[in-house]
Amino acid sequence: MIRFDNVTKSYKNLRPALDDISLEIQKGEFVFLVGSSGSGKTTFLKLLLREEVPDAGTVWVAGRDIGELSQWRVPYLRRNLGCIFQDFRLLPNKTVTENVAFALEVIGRPRTVVRTQVAQVLDLVGLGEKGDRMPHELSGGEQQRVAVARAFVNRPLVLLADEPTGNLDPATTQGIMKLLDRINRTGTTVVMATHDVGIVDTMRRRVIQLDQGRLVRDQARGVYGFGDDMTVSSRGVPAVPVAGAGGGRAYDMAGQPESGRVAAVRARRGVR
Amino acid sequence: MAVSFEYVAKETVTNLWRNRMMTLAAVLTVAVSLSLVGTALLLRQAVNRQIGQWSNNVSLQIFLDAGASQPQVASVRSMIDQTPQITRCTYLDHAQSYAQAKQVLAGSPTAIAALTPATTPTVFKCQLTSPGDAATVAATFNSGVPGVYRATSPSQSIRVMQQVTNVLQLILLVIAIVLLVSSLVLILNAIRMAIFARRREVGVMKLVGATNWFIRVPFMLEGLVQGVLGALAAVVIVLLSNVGVSYLIRHYKVSVLGSAVLPPHDLVVTELVVVLIGVIVGVAGSSVAVRRFLDV
Ligand SMILES: Nc1ncnc2c1ncn2[C@@H]1O[C@H](COP(=O)(O)OP(=O)(O)OP(=O)(O)O)[C@@H](O)[C@H]1O
Ligand SMILES: [Mg+2]
Repeated sequence: MIRFDNVTKSYKNLRPALDDISLEIQKGEFVFLVGSSGSGKTTFLKLLLREEVPDAGTVWVAGRDIGELSQWRVPYLRRNLGCIFQDFRLLPNKTVTENVAFALEVIGRPRTVVRTQVAQVLDLVGLGEKGDRMPHELSGGEQQRVAVARAFVNRPLVLLADEPTGNLDPATTQGIMKLLDRINRTGTTVVMATHDVGIVDTMRRRVIQLDQGRLVRDQARGVYGFGDDMTVSSRGVPAVPVAGAGGGRAYDMAGQPESGRVAAVRARRGVR
Repeated sequence: MAVSFEYVAKETVTNLWRNRMMTLAAVLTVAVSLSLVGTALLLRQAVNRQIGQWSNNVSLQIFLDAGASQPQVASVRSMIDQTPQITRCTYLDHAQSYAQAKQVLAGSPTAIAALTPATTPTVFKCQLTSPGDAATVAATFNSGVPGVYRATSPSQSIRVMQQVTNVLQLILLVIAIVLLVSSLVLILNAIRMAIFARRREVGVMKLVGATNWFIRVPFMLEGLVQGVLGALAAVVIVLLSNVGVSYLIRHYKVSVLGSAVLPPHDLVVTELVVVLIGVIVGVAGSSVAVRRFLDV
């Protein structure tokens, strides 16, 4: 579904924001993207959305090299990628229903489709009753649910979340994570950048850790902490530092070009 | 991609209303500048009509005696051919000359009644390499050439009138162009403010995959509407001024404005030009704004 081949991205600074990243995310996976502030998580997500383009390397989404997309096709890429953010980004002068409907209207969906899909997704996020509220009449958690509804209403292949719980209290955070988990179970790939130790440690999903733009850990059913080998092994799940001699996914791909090519072919043919 | 008409119309009207002060400024400037353009065009047409009706770009007319014989006509023609200052001549026979006289004298039926085709002199209408030669060339033909009744060049007063209107026209056009440029800038700025006011919506639209055109069209349309509204106001102003002028003529018989009242055809063409310029200014202003400030 998503594949990075030796992707490097620098802004004006000397140190690249992402440095030679190679990894693959399968359809239906739930991935946490962790790392300290400035480690390149948002940049990673921006590359997927083609808000930025890599300086070197290739980003694949749904079997397409998105660097090859002409400018006018980028919107069609984005229709396959739902997005939520720490600051919700709702339109303050539109009701909940209008906010969600907006996402379908502006891609030219017919009105009947808009009406049914919006109602469905509002039920899914548990806001079926609050469609006529304005965003400022909702709690933060509810606003984030609206944002999730908007991101998911067009049934994207991938849901990208950049610190979606950064502004929420632990209880509300739990609610949002349950929701993302439910969405993930429908087969939607979820990539979530986060600083929240609690949710990463309780959900036990794949964890990709970045440090100063480098991929330093790619761990199935991982936890937040890094270098905290004691905790990890005591729980029976070995951490696999990529830079070391281990056999993590990313290492596999980088180390064995053969299997990498097979994966690329698979990705290219892959379910769109 | 179906850009729904309803969506675009709603967006455009909302934008215009939210931005109404800027819109008003832009529309008024377009209106004033296009009124000037329209006035300049009408003035030009009126003056050309007055001068051109009987001189038709001719700088020398050689009238022949009503009873000039064929050989006399032929010898005048060969004399014309041998005059280097004359570039081109057309000959109007009795019938053509009569038809033209009727046009020129349209305002005075008694004069027309006095004419018949046979008594109307035939005429050579000639163009000169330079109008300054008119007097000397006329003098040669007036020095007793057989068959020539009289050679005349357009009177000095008409040339002065032509020059005055040319200058007037130029001034009007310069002012109009300056105002057009400022209206373009005003429209550009209005659209820029509209884009700024809606940056949140634009951000969401980009995020959920609205196409560039879908995002741009309402803004472009907003500029177009401003240009067209201004142009329509100008159309009304030009119409009113035309009505005003014809009223003045009828009431005070201002002879200088003799044919300043234009036939409907000229008026329609002028108004169409005005609307077209309005459309161009609106679209140009908003295109630049959209390209500069809406990085999709
Ligand atoms: N538009 C930009 N121009 C220049 N430098 C940038 C830009 N965006 C990010 N950077 C730099 O790139 C690096 C990675 O930034 P990024 O936003 O990806 O980090 P992050 O992991 O999302 O951090 P945080 O957890 O604080 O959100 C940082 O050093 C940042 O300063
Ligand atoms: Mg970030």
